Amino acid sequence: MKASDTDQQLVQRAQRGDLRAFDLLVLKYQGRIAALVSRYVFDPGEVEDVTQEAFIKAYRALDKFRGDSAFYTWLYRIAANAAKNHLVARSRRPGADATVEDAEGYDEAGALAEGSSPEALAMGDELAAVLQQALDNLPDELRAALMLRELEGLSYDDIADVLGCPVGTVRSRIFRAREAVDQRVREQMSGESGFR
Amino acid sequence: MTSTDKDTEALSALMDGEAQELELRRALDAIDRAPALRSRWQRQHRVSAAIKGQRFADPSVDVSRGVREALEAKSRVNRNPVWSMAVAASVTLAVVMGGQQLMLQDTHIQPLVAVNELSGAVVPVSGAQPVQASLGVRSLPVENRQVMPTPSSSANIAAVYERLARDRYMRLNGRHATVAAQSHPAPYISYVRIPEPQPEE
Repeated sequence: MKASDTDQQLVQRAQRGDLRAFDLLVLKYQGRIAALVSRYVFDPGEVEDVTQEAFIKAYRALDKFRGDSAFYTWLYRIAANAAKNHLVARSRRPGADATVEDAEGYDEAGALAEGSSPEALAMGDELAAVLQQALDNLPDELRAALMLRELEGLSYDDIADVLGCPVGTVRSRIFRAREAVDQRVREQMSGESGFR
Repeated sequence: MTSTDKDTEALSALMDGEAQELELRRALDAIDRAPALRSRWQRQHRVSAAIKGQRFADPSVDVSRGVREALEAKSRVNRNPVWSMAVAASVTLAVVMGGQQLMLQDTHIQPLVAVNELSGAVVPVSGAQPVQASLGVRSLPVENRQVMPTPSSSANIAAVYERLARDRYMRLNGRHATVAAQSHPAPYISYVRIPEPQPEE
């Protein structure tokens, strides 16, 4: 199984009308979609509006999603179109947003750096530092399991082969590693929005 | 391991695409009971992205509540009995109008009434040859029967049906338009096709 299977499972439930499943997809992807939208739209309030609109459109079109591409790729197209439509509508009014051509010409890393507020950039740096510390403090067997999963993208079966332990143990180690990291992150960043 | 730990572990497995259907249901139910798990899901995805070296433009963006409220509102509208009635009325109207059209197309065929020359009734069946209901009597060939046009004014009946259908259509159409205007949450936005930027993955 891959991480995209998670999306497929949640999409199938959402297609049957389970809003809780779609809510998990929103929570998972809203940051990345907001980052995409911010390539086109500079005003933070409008970024939220367009991001929200993109997810609502995606839910309404969910019946048409057949799983031929990854859910995120499909969602990405919807969000990009929503942002472009917003720009087209915006061009009829005075404003300082990027043109479609400007946004298309941006490289993502540059756009992210330019679009991010200093606070967001600082928070990213702080999170990275806290994470490094939390990972360093993990017992070796927990850190190995988590890294093989997060960085190498291995399945639990493959991790079990690599580490020479049962799949259930892998699952438990990854869970415990995440718990430890999560606790550390919450302690260190409890004052930051999005980390409470 | 406590029940909460099991729920959290199921959520962790779900993150990795390693949860079975039963665990998925368990995780969704658990999130309903404990909203803290919802925050945990979001936080752990951010941590996961950070481990991979990805960075979001602004981690404080949270549209999940707005999305959910909008979708729940839409769902309520769909469950509204007035909406259901409007849809049912539209379907009924379509059936009535369709039937009406078929009747009007058939008016050039004169309904036949066969007058039986022998004992037994002859039942006119639209679109079929007359059927003789007789007891022990050989049925007559159709050509031998005396056939005359229906005395009833089918054209008048058709006109009355059409007027009734039109009246009903006008009445329901107004109601349908009102309900549709109230329930459609987003205005029409024209679609533009522009070359796609490349996705991140």
